[in-house]
Amino acid sequence: MNFILKFKDIDEQREIPHENYTIDELLKDLNLSSQNIVSKLNGELVIEESEIHNNDEVQLIQIIYGG
Amino acid sequence: MMCECGKCGSGYVITKNKQSGIYLCRDCFIDSIEKKVIKNIKKENLLEKGDNVLVALSGGKDSVTLLEILNSFRERNIIDICAVSVDEGIANYRQSGINIAINHAKRLGIEHKVVCLKDEYGVSLDEIMGNNNHRGSCTYCGVFRRDIINKTAREMGATKIATGHNLDDETQSIIMNYLEGNIDNLTKLGAKTQSPADKFTVKIKPLREITEHDIGLYVIAKQLEVHFDSCPYAQQSFRMEVSQLINNLENKHPTIKYSILRGYDKVKNAIGDSLNKKFHSHTNCIKCGEPTANKLCRKCTFLKELGVD
Ligand code: SF4
Ligand SMILES: [Zn+2]
Ligand SMILES: [Zn+2]
Repeated sequence: MNFILKFKDIDEQREIPHENYTIDELLKDLNLSSQNIVSKLNGELVIEESEIHNNDEVQLIQIIYGG
Repeated sequence: MMCECGKCGSGYVITKNKQSGIYLCRDCFIDSIEKKVIKNIKKENLLEKGDNVLVALSGGKDSVTLLEILNSFRERNIIDICAVSVDEGIANYRQSGINIAINHAKRLGIEHKVVCLKDEYGVSLDEIMGNNNHRGSCTYCGVFRRDIINKTAREMGATKIATGHNLDDETQSIIMNYLEGNIDNLTKLGAKTQSPADKFTVKIKPLREITEHDIGLYVIAKQLEVHFDSCPYAQQSFRMEVSQLINNLENKHPTIKYSILRGYDKVKNAIGDSLNKKFHSHTNCIKCGEPTANKLCRKCTFLKELGVD
């Protein structure tokens, strides 16, 4: 079970670590704060509670930068 | 798990309000942000009929959102809008924001000026930073940008200057000034600020009650073109530390940013008047004529130091 992660220069396949894996958990695994990120699942804006399924594409957009 | 929009019942939600726990769909979210800004404008009396508002437009998410929402007042013939973008001369960074600003101004048919530091003062930020002896990029940026925006407001006949400061910016400034004991600067914050010097145009912050995250979500939900990037000179700063501190608090106390703001507004009313008289006497800079508390204004002091005056 895999999904595609797109974030900045990253465009990679990752394994879904467990069932009901959510975007919120993914953000924690990547050490990212949800305060700085907007998430898209298969091209649509979603809430972080959304689950990631096989072959999904997750795009994380950083909206807050220093400066 | 099924979530429904708390306003219209749509099953396709894009955000959950941290304070209320209510989910919103795209359209209801966009609507809620616009209504909130309009409500704040009315509550704080930020706009009057016939105002000509100069928008400080960097092409980033905050200023583009500001322009978008203020434009609804322009469409209803309540105000007129003009815009200014400051090009500090930061290679591989600023130009893309400036191009986006130009596109938005064209799209809306708004008079727009781009002012370069290099043309205005004979030196770009990159050149300043090429010297070993400097005060840190953001110090120059802040002082020069303010000078250009103030002057442009007079040139374009603006009655107000609107900036894209959001709830995060404002609460950071409040806490920073408290922590540094800088009570003079503390009283200069707020939704609407008027310097005692008549030469300075009134400044307003219509987005002051919207979180930075919601502004980011708004521009993406509305598919507005913006420049998301970090400045090459941005470094770990006291502001960033304070930002992390407030965001950590917010995780457990979701209304903390609002309570910081509300508390501040009460304090400002209480102490503002007494401090205003004491601190804010001014004269005009002997070099450029801009209002200042000293003989030379900060801009002219910096230009002298840099050897370009
Ligand atoms: S972060 Fe960059 S653009 Fe922002 S004030 Fe500092 S130097 Fe200027
Ligand atoms: Zn809805
Ligand atoms: Zn001066």
